[in-house]
Amino acid sequence: MTLLLLLSCATETGSPGEQVVPVDLSPREMLIRASVDIRGIHPSEADLAAFEADPSDAAYEAYVDAWLQDDRFLDRMEEVWNGVFRTRTGETYFDPAEAGLSDLDSRDVAEAIGDEPLQLVRWIVDNDLPWTEIVLAEHTMGNSTTAAMWNQTLTGDPSGWSPATYDDGRPMAGVLSSTTFWQRYPSAGSNANRHRANNVSRIFLCDDYLSRPVEFSRSDVEAATAEEMEDVIRDNPTCAGCHSSLDPLAAHFFGFWWDKEDETLSARSRYYASDEDEWQSWSGRAPNYYGVPTNGLRDLATHLADDPRFVDCAVQTTLEALQQRELTDDDWTDLASFERDFASGGLTMRALVRSIVTSDSYRNPVDSDTISSVKMVSPDQLRSIILDKTGYDWTFEERAALVSNDMGMPVLLGGTDSRYVTDRNYQPTVSAMFVAERLAQVAGYRVAASDLAGETMSNPVLLQKVTVQDTPASNPQAFEDQVRFLYLTLTGIPLEKDAPEVQEGVDLWKQIFSVTSSPTSAWAGVIAAVLRDPRLLFY
Amino acid sequence: MPILQRPLSRRQLVKGAAAAAAWGSLGSMAAISRQAHAAAGDRKFLFYFASGAWDATPLDPKFGSDGQSAVGGTDMDPGTTLGRAGNLTYSAGNDRLNMDLFFQDWYPYATIVRGVDVHSVAHDTGMQWTLTGSTSMSAPDWPTALAARSPIAYPMPHLVFSGPNYPGTLGGAVVRGGGGTLLRLMDGSINATADENAPAHVWAVDNMIDAQVYRRGDRYGSNRTGAGRSRIDAFLASLERSQELEGRLFEAGLSGSTNEILDQSMMALEVMRLGLARCAMIDVPGIWDTHDDNSVVGPQLDDFYGVLIEVMDYLSRTPGVASPTLLDEVTIVVMSEMGRTPLLNSSGGRDHWTYASQLILSSQITGNRILGATDDEFLARTIDLRTGQPSASGTYLGTEHVGAALLQFGGVDSEEFLNGVEPLAGLVGEGA
Repeated sequence: MTLLLLLSCATETGSPGEQVVPVDLSPREMLIRASVDIRGIHPSEADLAAFEADPSDAAYEAYVDAWLQDDRFLDRMEEVWNGVFRTRTGETYFDPAEAGLSDLDSRDVAEAIGDEPLQLVRWIVDNDLPWTEIVLAEHTMGNSTTAAMWNQTLTGDPSGWSPATYDDGRPMAGVLSSTTFWQRYPSAGSNANRHRANNVSRIFLCDDYLSRPVEFSRSDVEAATAEEMEDVIRDNPTCAGCHSSLDPLAAHFFGFWWDKEDETLSARSRYYASDEDEWQSWSGRAPNYYGVPTNGLRDLATHLADDPRFVDCAVQTTLEALQQRELTDDDWTDLASFERDFASGGLTMRALVRSIVTSDSYRNPVDSDTISSVKMVSPDQLRSIILDKTGYDWTFEERAALVSNDMGMPVLLGGTDSRYVTDRNYQPTVSAMFVAERLAQVAGYRVAASDLAGETMSNPVLLQKVTVQDTPASNPQAFEDQVRFLYLTLTGIPLEKDAPEVQEGVDLWKQIFSVTSSPTSAWAGVIAAVLRDPRLLFY
Repeated sequence: MPILQRPLSRRQLVKGAAAAAAWGSLGSMAAISRQAHAAAGDRKFLFYFASGAWDATPLDPKFGSDGQSAVGGTDMDPGTTLGRAGNLTYSAGNDRLNMDLFFQDWYPYATIVRGVDVHSVAHDTGMQWTLTGSTSMSAPDWPTALAARSPIAYPMPHLVFSGPNYPGTLGGAVVRGGGGTLLRLMDGSINATADENAPAHVWAVDNMIDAQVYRRGDRYGSNRTGAGRSRIDAFLASLERSQELEGRLFEAGLSGSTNEILDQSMMALEVMRLGLARCAMIDVPGIWDTHDDNSVVGPQLDDFYGVLIEVMDYLSRTPGVASPTLLDEVTIVVMSEMGRTPLLNSSGGRDHWTYASQLILSSQITGNRILGATDDEFLARTIDLRTGQPSASGTYLGTEHVGAALLQFGGVDSEEFLNGVEPLAGLVGEGA
C-alpha cells in the first residue's frame, strides 16, 4: 500500500516535493476516530478505558463490528449519500395543499420528500442488501407524507418509512424511479434530460460530464451558430465526445418528461409511459448504455449495476466522505483492497465501511501538504456528539439547527444545503467558530443550570464532583476533580497529571464568577469552553 | 453610527497587547497617512455575479454605423440603440436608463472586457471556470484567493453575502454572511430564541472562554504538520477573527440590514471601510437565464446599474482606510458564468454562449477602455494580452487570463493558482 510504504520512510514523498509524516494516534484517539466516523458520537468512557487497556486489533474490530449495527450508522450513511444525492434541499417542489397536506408544516413535508431516496439507502444498509439495490430495488421508500405527495402505495405502517411503489405503473428501478430524485434533477426544454443523465453518471459512476475539459474550436462555435443545434451535438466531434454517450442515457428518462402545459402536482409528478419514446423528437438518439442498446429504465439500471465503475464509485464516494478529501492516484492500492472486501462482503455497506476503518491507512493517518490527519466534524456529527454528551439538542421551533437548512446553520459550520452549497468545507471558518461558540454556550448553561439546581441530583450530567456551594477556596480538590472530569467526559482524553488545563479551568471559573457572581454561569462557562475544545470539533 | 468600546480581545489575553496593536483599529488607521491609491496588498474587491449567464451584448453591442440598425450575426434587443460614454459603447434603451446614466457619470473608472471565453456552455462549469480558471474543486475562486493571500489579516477575509463561492483549499478565508443567522450568532442573540434557551453571555465572559479555547487549540496543533497543522491554524485564525468581530459588529452597522442587493452592497463596503473584510461576493438578482424571453434583461440591468450608481457615489465620497476615498481602495468586478447566443431564438430568448462580457470599476485601473473583442457574429477575436487589444497573432482571451490579472492586481502571485497562465496585463499591468 502506498501510504504504508510512505509510513516506513517519513521523509519520502507521495508526490514530488511532498513530505508525508505519520501521526501517532493513541488508542483513545483511534477509537474516537472510528466511532465518530461510524456513529457520529464518541465512545463511552468505559469503552475508551477498556480499549486503552487492550488496544489489540481484535478489540478494535469488535468495536467496529458492534457500531456498524448501531442505528446511528444508518444516519451516517444517509449523510454520506446525501453528499452526492443532494436531495435534502428543504424544498417541497409543489404546494403541499395540492396533496391535501395543508395541515402539515411545509418543512416537515420537505424533510420527507428530501429523505425519500436516502431512506432507500438506509433500507439497503440496514438489511445488508447489496449496494446495487439502490438502482435495482423494485420499490422506493415512502411514508404517509410522500405517499400523499407522490401517489405512492406503502407496504408498511404509514407512520414510518416502508418500501413503496407508485400508482402510475412506472417501471421500478430504485432511486431511478424516485419522484423526489427527478424533482431534484429536472429537465427543461432543450436540455432533453441531459441534466438527469449527467447526475446519474456523476452519482453512480463518479463521472461528471461537466468536469470534463471541453475546448471549443472556432469551427465548433461557428457550426453551433449556423446549424441545427441537435445536429451539431450529434455530428461535431467536440460535442459528440460527451453527447454520444450522454444523450442515449438521457433517452431513458422521457417517461418523467414534464414539458407540458399542466403544471399541477398530479401532472408533473407522475410517469408517462406514453412519452418514453419522446427522445425521437429531441436528441433523436435511442436509449443505450455506452453503445449497448437497452430496453427501458429497468434495463438501464441493470447495466449500471453491472458496470465495474458502479462499484468503484460507491467505494470512492464512501472513502472520500470518510477521508474528507478527494482521492488521488496514490489511493489506488487502498481502493482496490476496499473493493475486494466490498465484493466479498456481498456489496454491503457494512462490509465496505468495515474494510475502510480497519485498514492500516485509516488506523495510521498521516499529515502531508495535501492530506490532513485532522478531520472536522460535520454539522450532523457535532449535533449528535453534543446531544450524546450533554443531552442538549439545539432546536428552534422544534427543528434541529445543525441539521435543518431553515436557518442556514449547516452551511455556516462548513456543511452543505444540497442546493447552493454542495461541497463541504473542511477548514474551520469564522462562521463555524460562532456556531460552535453559541451551541456550547447554551448547552453549557442548560447542563450547569440543571445539574446545580438539583434537578439531576441523583445523576448529574456533567457536574458530578461539585455542589453549588463549592468554591475553589472551600473545596479545591472538588474543583480539580471536576475540571478533569469535564475534559475526560467531553473530549474522551484524560488530562495529564500536571496539565495546565486544571488550573486554567479553575481560573476561568473564578474569572467568570467575578463578573457574574453566579456559580451556574461560572460552571456554564467552563463547560462551554470544554465543549468548544478542538477535540470535539476535530477528530 | 455608534462606535462602541471594544472589549479586551482574546488576542490581548493570549498574546499580549502588542499583537493586538498590530491589527489596528479605527484610531490607529486614522493615524495612517492617506495615500492617493491603495497598495496592491491593501486593495479590496467587491464582486458581483449575475448567476444564470447574463446576456453579453449589452456590454458588447453590435449596431450598424447608424447606431441603430442590426448587423448580421447578432440580434440586439428590440428598442435598444448604441450608447456611448467616452470610449465605451453599450446598448442603451428606455428599459435600461440607469445603465446609460451610470456610464455617463462613471466611464472614466470603467473597463469593459469583451469576448472572455469561459470554456463551457453549462452553468455550473462556466461558473467555476469564470471564477477559478479551472474545473478543479481544489481551486479557490478569485476573491477567496485574494482574501486568503492578503498580507493584511482580516476578520472576515472574504464575505459571501450571496452568489457563488469556490473555497477550494482555502475555505478558512470564507465567511458566509447571508440570511441573518450569522449576525445573530455574532451578537449572541440567537440563544434567546432557542427552544431551550440561555441568557446571552457578556463579552467579557466570551473573551475568557475564547482565550481558554485558543490555548487548547494551540496545544492540540503543536504536534501536527502539513495540512493537519493548517487546519488547526485555520481554527486558531478563525477564533481570532471571531473575537475581533464580536466587538465590532454594531460598529459596522450590520444589524438590521436586509438581503437586498443595495443593502448587501453597503454592508460590504462598510466592512471594507472598517478593515474587516478584503473581498465580498454579491449575487445580482434577476432571471438571467433567458432561454424563453430576453426582454427581462433590460429592466434587470436598469435595477443593477441603479445600484452601481449608488455604490459608486458612496465610494467616491467616503473616506478610505488609507486613501482619500474608498474609491481609491475598492475595485468592483462584475461577472457572469457565460454569455448568451448572439441570435435571438424563436421565443425571443437567447441560449448559452461561451463568450462573456465583464465590467471592472476602479480608480486604480485606467478606465474608459475596452479590452478584448468579438466580431459581428459574437465570436472572440484574438488579442494581445499585454494591451488587451485585438491582434491577429494574439491569444483568445480566457477567464483565466482575467483572473490572473486580478490576482496580480491584488498583490497575489497568480502562478500559485494559475500555473503558466499569462495575465491580461493590459488590464492592470504596465501596458494599461
